[in-house]
Formats: sequence, C-alpha cells, structure tokens
Amino acid sequence: MGCDRIRALLPLLVDGALHQPRRFFVDRHVAGCPDCGSRLEELQSIQAMIRTKLPFYRAPPGLAARIGATLPREAPPPHRRPWFRLPAFGIAGGGIAGAVAGVALTLVILQGPAREDAAVKSVIGSHIRSLMAEHLTDVATSDQHTVKPWLSARLDVSPPVRDMAELGFPLLGGRLDYVDGHKGAAVVYRHAKHIINLFAWAAPGRDAGFAEQAHQGFNVVSWRRDGVAYYAVSDLNANELAAFARLAGG
Amino acid sequence: MVVCLFPLHDFFPIREYQDLKPGKIAAPDRTLCLAQDDRKRQFELLALPHLDAAFNLARWLAGNPADAEDVVQEAYLRAYRYFDSFQGGNFRVWLLSIVRNSFINWVKENRSGRLLFQAEPAASETETMWAQRPRDPEALLLDSIDSQTLETLMQRLPVEYREVLLLREVEDLAYKEIATITATPIGTVMSRLSRARLALRALWLGADSREAARGV
Repeated sequence: MGCDRIRALLPLLVDGALHQPRRFFVDRHVAGCPDCGSRLEELQSIQAMIRTKLPFYRAPPGLAARIGATLPREAPPPHRRPWFRLPAFGIAGGGIAGAVAGVALTLVILQGPAREDAAVKSVIGSHIRSLMAEHLTDVATSDQHTVKPWLSARLDVSPPVRDMAELGFPLLGGRLDYVDGHKGAAVVYRHAKHIINLFAWAAPGRDAGFAEQAHQGFNVVSWRRDGVAYYAVSDLNANELAAFARLAGG
Repeated sequence: MVVCLFPLHDFFPIREYQDLKPGKIAAPDRTLCLAQDDRKRQFELLALPHLDAAFNLARWLAGNPADAEDVVQEAYLRAYRYFDSFQGGNFRVWLLSIVRNSFINWVKENRSGRLLFQAEPAASETETMWAQRPRDPEALLLDSIDSQTLETLMQRLPVEYREVLLLREVEDLAYKEIATITATPIGTVMSRLSRARLALRALWLGADSREAARGV
C-alpha cells in the first residue's frame, strides 16, 4: 500500500477501528516510513491531549432533583381506562412560570384483576430494566449460601435460593428490587442464554397455584406460598419457564 | 382554584391527557399513578446515570452552564416523553442524540436566524491542513498545552467539530454510534473527525506561533 492509502487509514488505527488484515499492513508501513510514522504520532498526541486535558463539566448539584421534579407532570403513558371509578375530587392551581397548572386526584376502587395486571407489568418492567441497566445482581455469585443470607438480612422475606445448575438453571445472584410498591428480592437464574428473574415479596394471604401469563413478549409465572408472592419472568418459552417455576417453588 | 366533582375522564379521555394545555384539569386515577411511578422510576434508573455525560455535551455545545442546564432539562423531558420508543441498545447513545436535538431546538428558539451547523469549509481538505508545519517540531507533540488553552481552542472550533471530538474522545463512542447521534452518514463522521483533529492542531500551531511572535 502507498502512503496515501496508509494515511487514510491512520485515523481508524488511532480510533481502534482498524482490524486485521489491514492493520498488519498499516503497522508494517508506519514502522518503515518516517513521514507516515510522524503523522500517526501526531494523531495519537492530539487524541491523548483531548482525552487527558479537556475539562469535563459535571452536572451541577441539584440538576437531577430538578429534572426529577418536572418529570411526572409530563406525558403520562397511554393507559387503558380503569374498570370502575368513583367521582373525582380534583383541585387545580394556577400555573407557575407556564408550567402545568392542573393537578387532580381521583379515588379509585382497584379491582383484583387490574391489580394483578399491574403487578405483572411491574415485574416485566423490572426484568427489562435489570437487563438493560447492567444491574442484574447486587450480589453476583452462584453460591446459594451467600445469596440467601444477603437477601434475608435486607428484607422481611427469606426467598428460597437454590443453585439448580444441575437442572439447567444456574444461579447468577440476587439483588434488591422495588416492584409494584413492594420491597422484594430478585433472584437471578440463567437457562441457556435466557435470564430468569424470580421476584419474591411479602404478600400475606392465601396460597395460590401457578398462573401463567404472557405479556410484551415475556412469560410470567406467578404463585403464592406461605405469605410470599413469587413472579418468575423471562423471555424463555412458556413450558420451560413453567418447569423452572415448579422447580423453584416446589 | 377550581374544584371539580365529576369523573373527568368522561370529558378528557386519558389518551388525550398529553395534549392538555395548562388550565385544563387532568384526573389521573390510581392505576395510572402506579404505572406512572413505575415508568418514572425506570426512566430515572436508566437516564440519571448519564446526567454528567448529557450535561458535559450540552455545556460544550451551548458554551455556558445556564444554557446547558436548560438544554439538558428539556432533553430529559423529551426523553421521558419518548421513553416508550427506546428499543434497547445503548441508552447513552439514545439519550445523547436527544440532548443534541434539544440543543438544536434551543438554538432555533433562542438565536433565531443564526446558522449553527454550517457547511464545512472547502479549504479544510486534510492534505492541505497537514501541510501546515510548526516552526518548532517539538510543538507538534502538544504536550505543553494546558487545559485552559485547550478549552479556549475547542470553543473556537465549529460546533460540529466540537461535538464529534467530544463524542469520540470523551464519550469514547464508535463511529457508528456517533453517526446515530449526529444523524450523519458514517463516512461523514470519519472525515469530519479527521478535519476536526487537524483544525484543532492548526489552532494550536497558530496559537503557538503567536506566542512565539510575542516572545512568550
């Protein structure tokens, strides 16, 4: 390759975007060509200069709080109408600085199925979040004797934690989560490439058997035992997740 | 102060809630509040860790902290509004593209008539730019530059050079991600980045020769 072609590739080399085999030819050329070599050095020093010396402006303290305070008045998500509702008692105040002026309160009688629906949506939301935010586990270990006491020390429930690796469901760890208004545990398992979040929180009431649902492309199996509500969530197929639930809950 | 005693949803169905203007009254029911709390929490968990990155980009684009804060606040509101359209992938990239768009909107609203993202000068062919050589070869190494000088030189760069340098060197994003944020073809990102580096080099060499002329 001539100098022109090499020079066109130097920025890619500096940016880590030059792969083999072209990288080999560029490295070899630069080693033997002082002109191209000095250009590469200059590019590298410009890059190093920006990376090491350019001021980074952190967000001022309080900005996060100010953003948080403005969010809920903006654009609530589309939502289906509830099944039943009492008349509303709303109070609206004048706008401040052109902000949203109306705040209103409605009393609602929540119905069982709607409540259950909200819980399912909530656990799915938390499941997705755990995958996206790279915050899958607070305590990352396949040792059930580490995960269980860690969770028990922080919660009013003591969820069953078993490493089921030999059954095809290795334990990845656990984390604390706040789901659907409950402080609970999320115990994380894997099956092949699928992550399973098993949520558990204190829910006094009768035991309930396994119930399967599919929502937003995720499968959910829920059950209640000894005053604890369990939700297993995964993109695993329904049969395998049901099998997992019976292993975990059995 | 208005007190209403009606089921307001009958007048204002929830789907139109977003379009309510100040002065009208919305009546979120409790299910909605719960869903909203959860949505807000999801959003904050994802978006707040990137607040420094968002602010830094806005600060470099807008040039001062007060305007940067306006841009970031607007960006977060927009991101929250369109949160449902986030399809996974790199959240920081998604968020920074909204910060950039908010900045462009902010410029349109606050500095009407001022052209911001200009066509790149024809003279900025990279070979021509490489031709400029320093009197003192040592100056090439750029080691002697201090943060304050670098900041001044960066602020003198066209904004499209500044942003591409920031996204590459500070945010350490790949060409493809920068292309997404700036809504620019990847080839343009690469050539713009090259020119931006050389433009910074040219400013530095110019500053250096001026200093040399003053006998500094």
